[in-house]
Amino acid sequence: MQPLGLSIGVWVNALLTLCILSFLYKDNPFFRFAESLFAGMSLGYYIGIVTVQTLQPNLIQPLSETFFGNYNYLLLIPMALGIMLYFRYIPRISWLARIALAVYIGYYVGVLMMQKIHGQVLPQTRDTIMPVTTGGIGALWNLVVIIGVFSVLVYFYFSVEHKGVVGKVSRVGIWFLMVSFGASFGYTIMARISLLMGRFSFLVNNWIRPMFGS
Amino acid sequence: MNLKKLLYIDRRIIYLVVAIGALIPIIRPIGLPVVPTEPVIGLFDKLQSLSPGDAVIISYDYGPSSEPELNPMSAAILRHCFHRDIRVIIMAIFPLGGVNMAIRQLERVTGEFEDLEYGTDFVNLGYKDGGQAPMKAMAVSIREVFPNDVDGNDTASMPIMSKVQNYDDVKVVISLATGIIGEWWADLVNAQFDVPVAVGCTAVSAPKYYAFLRSNQMIAVLGGLRGASEYEELLRRNFEWAREVYSDPDEMKQSATTGMDVQSIIHVIIIAFIIFGNVMYFATGKEKGR
Amino acid sequence: MRRTIPLVLTFLVGMYPIFAFFVPHATVSGVNQWLDKALVIVAAFALPLGVVNLVGMNLEKIKQRRAGWPYAIVLLAGLAVMAYFGVIGVIKGDTGFHPTFEVLFESMVSPLQATMFSLLAFYVASAAYRAFRARNVEATILLVAAIIVMMGRIPFGDMLTGGRMTPLSEWIMNKPNAAAQRGIIIGAALGAASMSIRVILGIERTYLGKSRD
Repeated sequence: MQPLGLSIGVWVNALLTLCILSFLYKDNPFFRFAESLFAGMSLGYYIGIVTVQTLQPNLIQPLSETFFGNYNYLLLIPMALGIMLYFRYIPRISWLARIALAVYIGYYVGVLMMQKIHGQVLPQTRDTIMPVTTGGIGALWNLVVIIGVFSVLVYFYFSVEHKGVVGKVSRVGIWFLMVSFGASFGYTIMARISLLMGRFSFLVNNWIRPMFGS
Repeated sequence: MNLKKLLYIDRRIIYLVVAIGALIPIIRPIGLPVVPTEPVIGLFDKLQSLSPGDAVIISYDYGPSSEPELNPMSAAILRHCFHRDIRVIIMAIFPLGGVNMAIRQLERVTGEFEDLEYGTDFVNLGYKDGGQAPMKAMAVSIREVFPNDVDGNDTASMPIMSKVQNYDDVKVVISLATGIIGEWWADLVNAQFDVPVAVGCTAVSAPKYYAFLRSNQMIAVLGGLRGASEYEELLRRNFEWAREVYSDPDEMKQSATTGMDVQSIIHVIIIAFIIFGNVMYFATGKEKGR
Repeated sequence: MRRTIPLVLTFLVGMYPIFAFFVPHATVSGVNQWLDKALVIVAAFALPLGVVNLVGMNLEKIKQRRAGWPYAIVLLAGLAVMAYFGVIGVIKGDTGFHPTFEVLFESMVSPLQATMFSLLAFYVASAAYRAFRARNVEATILLVAAIIVMMGRIPFGDMLTGGRMTPLSEWIMNKPNAAAQRGIIIGAALGAASMSIRVILGIERTYLGKSRD
């Protein structure tokens, strides 16, 4: 057995993994320690990555190296807006944070609107217009898709009471949704198992086996 | 036998069964075969259709929580690109770990190639904040969004970036994504700038992306570990180098194909749980005279 | 005034990307491009915004010795160490990540995050046994679809059914599933677009917070 042959990093990795997995038995101080460490270090990671990958190359460097070149002085505007976001924690000037928030939210809702209409509604609707009388068995499947899309949209239309014809169509929509949720459930199982496999694979192949020299 | 006790069995016993089911194939791999499907073949064919020197963007939009599914996919795609002399531009939009996933994967794969040159054959531009903001800005100039690479080196001086100004010079964007970012590449970058987009996603996101696949907003969807194993299978079927790489025992431990063994066992266990749980439920109902 | 200016700004900044989408004039596009680059920087400042709140909450917890206060020390210590190694390079004028930052990520943050999410596999298995019941027609449809898709995703499915499970599973994904997802996508997209209009026009103002002015 060669426990000291493994690096400290592997040991820390393995022990933290076991701390989290211990929650499966019951809540305990090891899990809570690891959980708190994770929360803190993740936030610290955000600070580091934002500073190194965005603020330094896109703001600090252009301002410090060529302030007037390439209109870099205009970067003071987003810098000021970014700092103003933190004024919300200073009661006397917290109203200034709303200005920065207005720009930030305004930009993203503007982009999102075009993204949703142009990138989702139009292409998805366009692709739903398909032939249903020509193309053999493909036409039948096209009809299935068209009925599915239409009935699901009727189900989500809550401005009209779901009874009579609308009720029957929305019921078909529910069946399509159940098939989709079943498929999503199956895929979700696969995703969760993959995560488990990853950790167990590390414990077996990177920690236990090397410890025993295999 | 007390059926009610079986129905409400301590959940830790269920956890134990799952843990044993996961450990067995890790200790003794089975090696079950996988059949590639159309959504995955789409990306393989696209990369096969590219010429040496063409450029692709691979965006690492995932973190450690999606590693087991997306790392094998990433390695397979990188190997495919490098063997075909396709130039690879790596970037990350996902804040919690995307850039570190990219660094790790590049280290893993580029070590297999002796003649790859950083800055000429591939570059890691690192992470950028803002989500849709840098994605939109890259349509004009990728260098302006990423003036430095991940290590702080000037991208303007790199040969690969002199040939790739913006999306017009990129043949396909491959997003390895967790959550909503894969969708942004399709409904923003593909919709507004007409760049082919392929998404390698966690299995959780895959069902939704079939709608984008049908409307040709995505040319391919690699869903989870199964998608990764299908891509590995496509490489093995078509290239001798892939058969050599994936027969190495160390590589096999990290490959998606080995991971599918665990998937297979656990899926069977869970299906058995569902069926057994329902049988018990209806049986206890009959006991009560329901 | 303190609410009017932000509302006007939201309208102007929100309308601009929409306006620029339809007007391909060079000046209009130029301003739009600058806006894209500027928001990269604003977003960088926004990402750690929650850190200030969290630090304050945890310091208060430690000060008042509330339940679980030792863990608040662990959280703050982890944050401080990681943030220190994240910014120290920039302060010194270096570029790229500090080596310790990367080591801490690989050996601590990465396994912690991965393992935290891997617990879900156990919960999903427990839920499958204890909660998923074919109580009615809809639940039965869901369970049958789930079982077919799960069998179709693993090699066993094809081995047991002579290769039929994968095509059946793919048919479910490409037809009924895609149809339902498309309905959800269209519905959700219309909802998001209408919410965007409401925010731009100032009808929806909750993002500005409560008015104390």
